Amino acid sequence: MTAKYAFFKGCFAPVRLPWVEKAAYKTLGNLGISLVDIDEFTCCPEPVGVGIVDNQTWLAMAARNLALAEEQNLDILTICNGCAYTLRNTIHKINEDKALLDKVNEIIADTGHSYKGKVKVHHFIEVLRDDFGIKKLKNSVKRPLSGLKVATHTGCHILSPKEVMNFDDPFDPTTLDELVSALGATPADYDMKTMCCGWTLMTYGAREGSYKLLGDKLSDMKKAKADCIAVICPQCFYQFDMGQWIASRKDIPQYNLPVFFYLQLLDLAMGAKIEEVGYSLHKVQNPNLLTKLR
Amino acid sequence: MPVQIQYKAKDKLLKKHPKIEVCLKCNTCALVDPAVYANGFSHTNTFINNVFSATEPEKNPNIWLCVSCHKCEEICPYEVKPVEVIEALKDEAFEKGYAPEAIREEINQVLTTGYAFPIFQSLGYINRMRGNLGLKPLEERKVEEIKKIAGKTGLEAKMERGKAK
Repeated sequence: MTAKYAFFKGCFAPVRLPWVEKAAYKTLGNLGISLVDIDEFTCCPEPVGVGIVDNQTWLAMAARNLALAEEQNLDILTICNGCAYTLRNTIHKINEDKALLDKVNEIIADTGHSYKGKVKVHHFIEVLRDDFGIKKLKNSVKRPLSGLKVATHTGCHILSPKEVMNFDDPFDPTTLDELVSALGATPADYDMKTMCCGWTLMTYGAREGSYKLLGDKLSDMKKAKADCIAVICPQCFYQFDMGQWIASRKDIPQYNLPVFFYLQLLDLAMGAKIEEVGYSLHKVQNPNLLTKLR
Repeated sequence: MPVQIQYKAKDKLLKKHPKIEVCLKCNTCALVDPAVYANGFSHTNTFINNVFSATEPEKNPNIWLCVSCHKCEEICPYEVKPVEVIEALKDEAFEKGYAPEAIREEINQVLTTGYAFPIFQSLGYINRMRGNLGLKPLEERKVEEIKKIAGKTGLEAKMERGKAK
């Protein structure tokens, strides 16, 4: 059986982390999950900027994206917590409020689209856990990542609000740990697991604070003897990679803790060499990790 | 007779968001709030308290430190829902021209390119990297339809009204 999804790449991965986009096509493709490109998709739109300053535009632009997938009878697969948050919040708001749904459809009518409320939005991690299944995932592993201790960071927007995202416990998420274990690696249990990566502090004016936050988080991961970090959101990736690199030049110690998008780890476990997963494009690299991967 | 407390600085916010009155400053939110790391805040002098007690809350630049992670809301023992308050304040601030330029720029980017941040000055570099990875080059996204949406909701006019003061 081939599962088929409309691939909602978002903005961040295709532009700044194209190796993550590549890993999505490759690994999910190898698992029999096919991704359909829809070129008309635009920014989800981003929840913290557009979403807040004009709620109606946010809902209408998101509804247009949803309608594009719906027209092809496809559910959406995202590789970003932010996109999942925007699209799922939109569904939650307009599917439950007929007047709002009509209003949104009236706004997008000129674009030639209409949202009917049928499409579902899945983060890839949910597709792996719920649709593909952890047992099958384990069976797909050709080279277990045993010996690798991984600090997982699930990120904020896939977890909350809980009643909308309906994914995992916001204060004790275990899904990513289970999926890391399925690859043969050991999840590291560290204190600040559910604290934000600090991306917004870095972006909107509290840089020093975000360095301190990163320092505390990385220190906890290091104490738990993590060899690397696993994330499922491009902004979290960027913050732990580029952010760590910047912070370590300034304020925080050299933790040298490489970060991987979960799909890169999956690629490695399915037999890819480290040179094939885009690791050479990461800012933070650590020779000790390569020894552990052998 | 019940005790009534008058919060002068909060009066304006309280009218719109009565739940604020239930905030007992227990500071539980600061245990999970990333904004506690921003300069000047601590686990006793909290970000949420700062937002709730500013005299002109929509002018408070700190509101933009909130990432809408909803952690404060999930942990709040009294269901105060600070995110609703902060999001409403951001909306008001934008309309009145107090939003950071970065926010306006971002919206402008979405409406003109379909991406949330500027990409076109570095498109050559991005596409070389994508080419090396065997991925299709990025092109400008078709934005006519989302421009129509922004015209209809009044966002474009709002952007004009909200030019930084």
